[in-house]
Amino acid sequence: MPEYAIIQSILNGILLGGLYAIVGIGMSMVFGIMGLTNLAHGDMIILSTFLCIFFVTQLIPNIFLALIITILIMMALGFLIQNFLVNRVLDKGGEPALLVTFGVSIFIQNVLLMIFGADAQVVHTQLAAINIITTKFFSVSALYLFNFIVALLVIGVLHCIVYYTYFGRSIRATSDNVVAAELMGVSTKRIYSYTMCLAMVSAAIAGLLIGMTFISYPSTGTQYLIIAFGVVVIGGMGSLIGTLLGGIILGLAQLLGAYFFGAGYQALTGYIVLLIILTVRPQGLLGTAIRK
Amino acid sequence: MGSINWRLTLKISSLAVLLAIFCAVPLWNKEYITMVFMLIFLYMSLGHMWNLLAGYAGLVSLGQQIFIGIGGYSLAVITELYQLPWAVGLAIGGLLAVIFAMVISQPIFKMRGVYFTIGTWIVAEALGVFFSNWSYVRYARGFNITVSYRMSTTEVYYLALAVGVASMALVYVLLRSKLGLALMAMRDNESAAETMGIELYKTKLKCFLIAAFVTGITGGVLYLYIAFISPSAAFGIDWTVAMVFMVIIGGIGTIEGPIIGAVFFVLIKQFLYDYPGISLIILGVLAIVIILVAPKGIVGTLNDRYGWELLSPRRRG
Repeated sequence: MPEYAIIQSILNGILLGGLYAIVGIGMSMVFGIMGLTNLAHGDMIILSTFLCIFFVTQLIPNIFLALIITILIMMALGFLIQNFLVNRVLDKGGEPALLVTFGVSIFIQNVLLMIFGADAQVVHTQLAAINIITTKFFSVSALYLFNFIVALLVIGVLHCIVYYTYFGRSIRATSDNVVAAELMGVSTKRIYSYTMCLAMVSAAIAGLLIGMTFISYPSTGTQYLIIAFGVVVIGGMGSLIGTLLGGIILGLAQLLGAYFFGAGYQALTGYIVLLIILTVRPQGLLGTAIRK
Repeated sequence: MGSINWRLTLKISSLAVLLAIFCAVPLWNKEYITMVFMLIFLYMSLGHMWNLLAGYAGLVSLGQQIFIGIGGYSLAVITELYQLPWAVGLAIGGLLAVIFAMVISQPIFKMRGVYFTIGTWIVAEALGVFFSNWSYVRYARGFNITVSYRMSTTEVYYLALAVGVASMALVYVLLRSKLGLALMAMRDNESAAETMGIELYKTKLKCFLIAAFVTGITGGVLYLYIAFISPSAAFGIDWTVAMVFMVIIGGIGTIEGPIIGAVFFVLIKQFLYDYPGISLIILGVLAIVIILVAPKGIVGTLNDRYGWELLSPRRRG
């Protein structure tokens, strides 16, 4: 029923937006709190995808255990990268830190390519084949709905951490004023490292969801970096609701683009919508950007 | 005064000797050596242009592959679809690169800092997707550039040499011109420079257009050598990865940096030719270490320590 296909596109776009929000949330936190654009964020997500696939197929067939191990590894990796690489150049202006993350990105991409080869990888799951609701007009994929719910949960948990814990308070203090936070006894560099850990938790979860939903190659990190950046830009940073909205706008842009122009244009319409928003409202649709 | 003239003569004559040596490389009759030198010159040209943007104009672009793709595709379309000579392809490639740079400069210059960086990257990715869906350029199948089958490595080498030397001379002359002074002033203090009457927007735009032109032409020559073009490779980030690594390793914001960087990059890449991932891993680690330990790169660090400078953009009083 092609006349109803647009309903399906809109529905899938919104659900896909949830996935994009979780792809972007880590980048948004890092961007908002330390003013760093982590160009390796997309590759870290794909690294998580590959780690999950590796653990599920080689070590333990339980996907939750695999996810937990992946999360721990990614946290450690995030801490190391932040502590030993990024923190050391963060004071020297934006460019060196940006280029360090670019180096990390290329490093991860090529290590993945070397170990896993250029073949497509996917996390096999039963969810992909199930439709929860099927009506005459549309159907809801269990996998897409699952992604959306997990995204809401992760965003909610991050929100609680940032607003209702002592750690969250020190994160917000560091984000507001580094000098004042240090005077109050907050080790800001340490906070940055923990923030990166937290961002890596979201990246690991995003990695698993991406692996279940789409086919991944070592080089697809770029695509998710741009999606993450788009989510941050559209939503404005520091705004968790904005992140969700940003994800939904990008998801809708892509799937409606695919609906109107054909599947090949899915990524292109996403990019164009993003470029237009970047041009017209560089500070994002919601909230104001803090540029450090 | 006398000593300066003497040093100038020495400098010019040593450059002339170097140029003569480079011209003579194909006479050695080792095709592999000629090819390595050719790649060094081409990558040097790319490095010079990225350095002009990132090291001098403060425009960290990750989208320079836009212009390589345009240059390469112009060559492919002109020679394959219209059967015109490759020189026309190269010229049109340069021209289209400038025109496209002009068109995107309007929106892209509204983005600042990291927004510009990622904005240029998104444009490149978007172009890659667009070309994959464009029947005129045969979708993602790409082109075999048959004109290059009829060209010898030596011919492409001389083109590469010309491009490399011209790009270096261009950067040198530019930096010693009024534009160069404006760039240095901007780099030191943007608002002070603006107060002194430097038009930031125009100065940056000029650099962007020049870089687009040279990168477009270089892209065309590169594809004369590669002989096959497809959207994902032509508009891939790998080109800009090469530029970034070369310039960081060599020394960002120095004229000699891209030269040293290009030599490093091409040699490591050729040495590890059978393991393409490993060379990028090594270069990536090297680039990160250099940013952490010696942020001015090889040339900048030598310069600070020993006052060693081959081509100074500074004018001597």
